[in-house]
Amino acid sequence: MAALLEVRDLATHFFTRDGVVKAVDGISFSLDPGKTLAVVGESGSGKSVTALSIMRLIQEPAGRIVDGEVYFKGDSVLAMNESQVRDLRGDRIAMIFQDPMTSLNPVFRVGRQIGESLMLHRHLSRKDAFERAIELLDMVGIPHPRDRARDYPHQFSGGMRQRAMIAMALACDPDILIADEPTTALDVTIQAQILELMSELQERTGTAIIMITHDLGIVADMADDVMVMYAGKQIEYGPADSVFYRSGHPYTWGLLDSLPRHDVDEKGTLLPITGQPPSLINVPSGCAFHPRCRYAREICPREVPASREVGEGHFAACHFAGQDGFVRGAAQAGGEVA
Amino acid sequence: MIKYVFRRILQMIPVFIGVTVLLFILRAPGVLPGDPVRMITGERPISDALREQIIKKHALDQPLHKQYYIYVTNLLKGDLGESYQRRTSVVDIFADKFPNTLRLALAAIVIEIIVGIAAGIISAVRQYSFSDVFVTLSTSVLVSVPVFWLGMLLQIFFGIRLKEWTGGAVFLPMSQMSSSQFPDWVHLILPAITLASVSTAYVARIMRSQMLEAMGQDYIRTAEAKGLTRRAVIFRHALKNALIPVVTFVGIDFGVMMSGAILTETVFSWPGVGREIFLAVGQRDWPVVMGGVIIIVVIVMIINLLVDLSYAVLDPRIRYGGAQE
Amino acid sequence: MSPATRRAASALEIDEVAGSTTRTLWGDAFRRLRRNKLAIAGLVWITIVVVLTISADIWVPPLFGDPLTVRTAPGESLQAPSFTHPFGTDKLGRDVFSRVVYGARVSLTVGIIAVSISLVIGLILGALSGYYGGFIDALVMRSADVFFAFPYILFAIALIAVLGPSYRNVFIAIGILGWPSIARVFRSSILSVKENEYVDAARAMGASDLRIMFRHIMPNAVAPIIVYGTMSIGGAIITEAALSFLGMGVQPPTPSWGLMLSDAKSLMFRAPWLTIWPGFAILTTVLAFVLMGDGMRDALDVKMKD
Repeated sequence: MAALLEVRDLATHFFTRDGVVKAVDGISFSLDPGKTLAVVGESGSGKSVTALSIMRLIQEPAGRIVDGEVYFKGDSVLAMNESQVRDLRGDRIAMIFQDPMTSLNPVFRVGRQIGESLMLHRHLSRKDAFERAIELLDMVGIPHPRDRARDYPHQFSGGMRQRAMIAMALACDPDILIADEPTTALDVTIQAQILELMSELQERTGTAIIMITHDLGIVADMADDVMVMYAGKQIEYGPADSVFYRSGHPYTWGLLDSLPRHDVDEKGTLLPITGQPPSLINVPSGCAFHPRCRYAREICPREVPASREVGEGHFAACHFAGQDGFVRGAAQAGGEVA
Repeated sequence: MIKYVFRRILQMIPVFIGVTVLLFILRAPGVLPGDPVRMITGERPISDALREQIIKKHALDQPLHKQYYIYVTNLLKGDLGESYQRRTSVVDIFADKFPNTLRLALAAIVIEIIVGIAAGIISAVRQYSFSDVFVTLSTSVLVSVPVFWLGMLLQIFFGIRLKEWTGGAVFLPMSQMSSSQFPDWVHLILPAITLASVSTAYVARIMRSQMLEAMGQDYIRTAEAKGLTRRAVIFRHALKNALIPVVTFVGIDFGVMMSGAILTETVFSWPGVGREIFLAVGQRDWPVVMGGVIIIVVIVMIINLLVDLSYAVLDPRIRYGGAQE
Repeated sequence: MSPATRRAASALEIDEVAGSTTRTLWGDAFRRLRRNKLAIAGLVWITIVVVLTISADIWVPPLFGDPLTVRTAPGESLQAPSFTHPFGTDKLGRDVFSRVVYGARVSLTVGIIAVSISLVIGLILGALSGYYGGFIDALVMRSADVFFAFPYILFAIALIAVLGPSYRNVFIAIGILGWPSIARVFRSSILSVKENEYVDAARAMGASDLRIMFRHIMPNAVAPIIVYGTMSIGGAIITEAALSFLGMGVQPPTPSWGLMLSDAKSLMFRAPWLTIWPGFAILTTVLAFVLMGDGMRDALDVKMKD
């Protein structure tokens, strides 16, 4: 079966006065119907730009997709004309954003905003679209949806707004839902509710999800596949279990070590990754992670590591990935790589 | 809402008192040179009896605070007194001039809204393009042009040169009296353009910056991600947000035009309120000056209140009065 | 370390940081201003006008004639622009170019003095209002409201009517009318600076009100004032022209651009040059101040309500 979404060697660059920012630099992945892909990385690692590139929402001329391919159900998204892409957006591929406070238009009623894509893609009348919006609000768990549909965004709480955003995104039963840090701006308790809602809706509708996050923890239960990004590059990609338990990249180890783990060792200390995320204008030579990597060797600043298969469908872009003894925890145990 | 309106009206009272007191101070004896009776009668000799009568009638023998009290009491009854020069009531004088000013202001507002908003949108949507640079430059020039000079240039061009070049066939009337061969509205064209010039530039500038700000907001990305066309994103999602400050400006500007049209009215000999007050200042006809200024101040206050209330309609985040969550 | 000394130490450190950011702020602003071609064009034009005006006594009368000398011999009045009279002559045979150059004196003087008067009144009242708040604040701001409620140009006319039309009274009237805007701008700057911790820290160290005002608040509130002041000069020049045009300003025979336009009104048809050049002089000079004000606003990153 052909993948629902296939991304190959995608590269998106921004051309600023200070130089070229390679926000996304050679990303490949595929997504099957009904599956969830987690895209993980620090801020500035190119996660959001990847999502916007798939939607072709990069603002030209400052930014441009300079290389690669995006296939949706076998059709090249990058080759489509403007109107074909618009037919895709909001209908087949929908997106929700990080900050529900600012992502809803303050001067339109919530119901109207949800119904807008139905009027556009399903050609519903304004009244029918509004009725459907009420059903959608009900589906995402908003009480008294008929009254709330008439409210304006500022009358909603943060969690409710994100629910409304989800309702808006799911209005046309999209094949793919891209969620760009959907819970970052929310309280912890609300975060869990929103994630649970998304899983539940995914089960019901069969929508594939691309979950963009900086927090590996929140995707542990949801993700089928995980892609880790660093400085615009894909450094690890594979099935979630394989990435979580047999990760081949020191950066991913760092991300895993900085997670609080209640299951294994209550007294275990959290290990932060030292150093700052790199500037995207002056990306370190060779492996971009080498200045912060405690396993860095002489080759690391010199050569860009190729992606190596470290397990079935599991790739890591590290010079030592897959070598014997190069495993997570080696450093803490005091063992240096031979 | 009603509570808010009520509170706003209460807040207007001190400003209103301040304005009337200031006007009274300006015309108080000693501040203005000359005998107030002479101001009323002019230079012709008068009998002592008549003099007494005038002093009695205008309460000139009373102390100033008493005069003020009498004036305000009459004012509240809708009586603004009588012109020194013309023996007609101030209310009648302005009732006569007001429609002219209103007509001119409305025409100017229409120009300012259409041209200003369109220029601002084009400028913002095509940021840094030729059109944008053109709009930005021409708005800078327009705010620097003295309106009366612009009026004169328009008269020279459309009233004189165009007539010469076309052998008298095509031209526009230079003032309201200059020619009766035109329908009424044609007389409005040049004065309205003149009066609208500076404001149009401001509307375009405000519109541009507001559109740019709106188009950088997250909700615009949401709208784009829905698959809306660029046109729909700009005209539905960005425009409604960007228009709110423009409405404020236009509202306030409408108030300013009630009086600020003096220069335009002078250049085009347009018999409006501003010109009437200006002429009255020259003649020291204080009842007309005070009455005119008070009428304008009240109108401006009412317009400002209406502008604030229109916010509630345009921007759902603002609800006056009741706390609502 | 006691809390007081710790606070004092941190205040000193913060003080230094504030000082250095101020310096780089001005440095950055200057660099940004230099990149703005329109602002530079404005500055160049203002410089040219100032130089021409200051040196006018040396070269204008010998080359083009005295701006005040009336020549009523036949053929002298209402000459079209020519080599000897580049802007033509007016009804009284006076050289228009000469009058336009001398008119710049009136305009620039009125602009600068009027704005200085507004600044002095506005800064004092704005400072009292913003720093002390309470009753003083209410009094100052309500008076400003009264000034704003008045129709601007009518207020100016009424003031001149009371004071009597003259050169001096024009800039007094414009100066008096300008204070409320300056006071508001300064007051809001003070209110926002007052919130900063370093002001609290300075107060905790026992700095006097005046010292706090000049050492800590002024440097941070000065950017909007400079921008606003520059733009106001352009506004004052236009207002002077308007008042003189209406006969409520500078009186004849003093060459003022507004007055020249007023004289030109009845001669628009016969002698359009009388209309064109003085107006053009107003436009370019005001535009120069507007462009410079815009440039400084962008360079100093001052947010202004239009």
